Amino acid sequence: MSAEIIIPGELDDSLDPTQHDVRPQRRRALTQGRGLVGLVLVGIVVVLGFAAPLLAPYSPNEQIPGANLLGPSSTHWLGTDEVNRDVFSRMVHGIRVDLLVVFLAVPLGAILGSLVGLVTSWWRITDVLTQRVFDVILAFPSLILAIALSAFLGPGLWTVVIVIVAAELPVFGRLVRTSLRTVREMPFVEAAEVVGAGPLWVLRRHVLPNSLEPLTIQLAVSMSVAVFIEGAMSFLGLGVRPPAASLGSLIRDGVRTMYDAPYFAVGPLLVVVALVLGLLLISQALAESRRA
Amino acid sequence: MTANRTDLTLLRRGAAVLLTAALVTGCSSAVADQRNGGFSSGGGEQILHIGSTNDIVPGTVFTNSSDTTNTLIGSVYDSLVDYPLDSLDAQPSLATSWDVAKDGTSITLDLRDDVSFHSGREFTSKDVEFSIRTWADPVWTVQLQRTAAAVTDFDTSDPHRITLGFDHPLSNILDLLDMVPIIDSESFDQLKTGEAYVGTGPFVFESWTPNAKVELSANEDYWGGAPGVDGIEVSVISDPQAQVSALRSGQVDLVTGASNRDLATLAEDDKYTVSQSDYGQQVYVGADLANPALKDVRLRQAVAYSLDRERILDEVYQGAGVTTSIPWAETSPAYDEELAHHYDLDAAKAKSLLAEVGDVGTLPLSYPAGNANYEATAQIVQANLEATGIRTELKPVEFTQFIKQLIAGEFGGLWILQHSYAQYTPSTLAVSAYPFNADKNASHFVDDDYKAHADGAWTRASGVDEGAVKLYGELNKDLIDNAFLLEIAILKGQVATSDKVGGEFTWSKRGELQLDDVTLGG
Repeated sequence: MSAEIIIPGELDDSLDPTQHDVRPQRRRALTQGRGLVGLVLVGIVVVLGFAAPLLAPYSPNEQIPGANLLGPSSTHWLGTDEVNRDVFSRMVHGIRVDLLVVFLAVPLGAILGSLVGLVTSWWRITDVLTQRVFDVILAFPSLILAIALSAFLGPGLWTVVIVIVAAELPVFGRLVRTSLRTVREMPFVEAAEVVGAGPLWVLRRHVLPNSLEPLTIQLAVSMSVAVFIEGAMSFLGLGVRPPAASLGSLIRDGVRTMYDAPYFAVGPLLVVVALVLGLLLISQALAESRRA
Repeated sequence: MTANRTDLTLLRRGAAVLLTAALVTGCSSAVADQRNGGFSSGGGEQILHIGSTNDIVPGTVFTNSSDTTNTLIGSVYDSLVDYPLDSLDAQPSLATSWDVAKDGTSITLDLRDDVSFHSGREFTSKDVEFSIRTWADPVWTVQLQRTAAAVTDFDTSDPHRITLGFDHPLSNILDLLDMVPIIDSESFDQLKTGEAYVGTGPFVFESWTPNAKVELSANEDYWGGAPGVDGIEVSVISDPQAQVSALRSGQVDLVTGASNRDLATLAEDDKYTVSQSDYGQQVYVGADLANPALKDVRLRQAVAYSLDRERILDEVYQGAGVTTSIPWAETSPAYDEELAHHYDLDAAKAKSLLAEVGDVGTLPLSYPAGNANYEATAQIVQANLEATGIRTELKPVEFTQFIKQLIAGEFGGLWILQHSYAQYTPSTLAVSAYPFNADKNASHFVDDDYKAHADGAWTRASGVDEGAVKLYGELNKDLIDNAFLLEIAILKGQVATSDKVGGEFTWSKRGELQLDDVTLGG
């Protein structure tokens, strides 16, 4: 009987018992129950944001003469603010800022974090160094990190993006590291290494695919956290600069008129709730499908 | 395993919510405690609780730039004379009488002989000398530093009489004597670090907790009579909205930083009183000539003509003030009715001036962050300028940093702030206030005529005679023609109090709350 030499490029993926097709389960999770509700909520917000130019009756920064702090009406669905702008128009345009933050900053943080976690965790020295850096970042609550970075960068949309990337980077780095440490001990990885598979091949072929599922779930959780971070930063004046609107800045403006016009904050608050709740429901549904 | 991690994350979130709820409950209990007497009202003491916006910065404690500092200085210290709000007719305080030499180069003051510092040490003429010399020290960056430095001779041979000699006549010497607090030299090192503020005023400094509170107790031996309350606690509440909430929840009795919109709402409620001073501060747009575009006076004038002052006053400040193009109130000897409306909104003229200048790029427009009034004003100004064709980028700047930029002249574009000092002898504004000082101002505006007129008005024996008024006319022309500082409105000073607060309530000319006659009842 002659021994067959298997070269890395031809390794059979079926040797990896942790790899199985989860797509049907994931699809099922998102098309029923809480997953569906989450998708619908997020979908509505996304549609509102993308259709803002069509839906908004006014430009978000247009100051309408004489329209100072008007209540909700057929002309101004959510009223006007203290500098005479239509609140509904600002809200739908503000959603775009949050969508940018959610769908740009979080994936960016996830990709960078995963890459850093993936590459540095293979070697002990880089692993120790990276984990200590992650410890330092994670020691600061996101808001403290936001305040510290804002002191250097000044308030603004890109500061929000950088804060979220910085806050999410260690989260995803740690997640990938955990997967790596699990998969690395598996016999099929040892087998691959015996036949000459290098670290990069193992990382790409086994570790990364095994991390994708938890990463997806974490992505949804982090996106909901990002909405909070944007809201909190803008609420504190560290987020987008006036006159630009974001959901957080609109809530802050609404709170300022809380006593004589409490309804201004309602619209933006509902959108934040829908977005955060929707993303959390999606993450829960994905987590459940994985357990199943 | 990862799913478990997600569950843990969700569990942690749930725990965080519960923790937050527990904290809120805890805070509610603290609020209830405070409403029921609180820690500082124990033993039946009448403590006036004040919500104030900005904390004390020991290094700038004499710059009149924070509401907490103003309350501290106004309560703990006395000055030699006090101006009434509506005139320049100085009234006795620590000085009982005074005599200005005919040539205006000296003043002799008789001092009270029954006054002691809070430390127990007797107040003498040496303390007047020390206080004026402190103000003359550039390290304190006080706005009347030049005037204080012009006092070069001190005759303190009599402990209860002092003669001050000047380098040249000083038309605003009584302004200086109204503004300089009489400081205790023995505790001056502690003053520098914020550990002690020892004066002769109606309240005694007890403690300062940075970013939290200042505690004062009543000076029962005050020469003007004991205050109506046992003490004052000033809490630093940087968010104006939170100040209003604190007032409504009973945590504080008086707030200094509520937005005009909130004040208007509070005024409609029987449980609160909104007190007004007719002589508050001026809100303005400054122009930094260090920005090459703003060197062109036509652009600055275009900005001035673009401002919709009436709208800003009505919508942001709820009509609490008067619009103006010059700094002075009607009671000032420099007031000019016609010039006060010189830069009334004129979009056509603004566009015409801008057309002559051409494209100016985007100008930074800075304003103090976290203040609803400034933020709304900045956004209206931005829209006004946009309508003319001038693009701006809003730059919210933290307040302490903003004041540093003002003193150092580091805005690099336009800025929005309030100024004071126009309530004094007009020369005081022109030779002292950071935005106006003819020698060095935040706009980097240097002009020989302006300096000559400012110095001319300053180095006179009288600040109110015919010659002085003529010079004020020239100063007005300089301010209008050069448009480096564009006034929007003279605002009324306003504070809101709960129905517990009674007694007489007023402001000093310096803008400090005068709290010695306030009582707490109800």
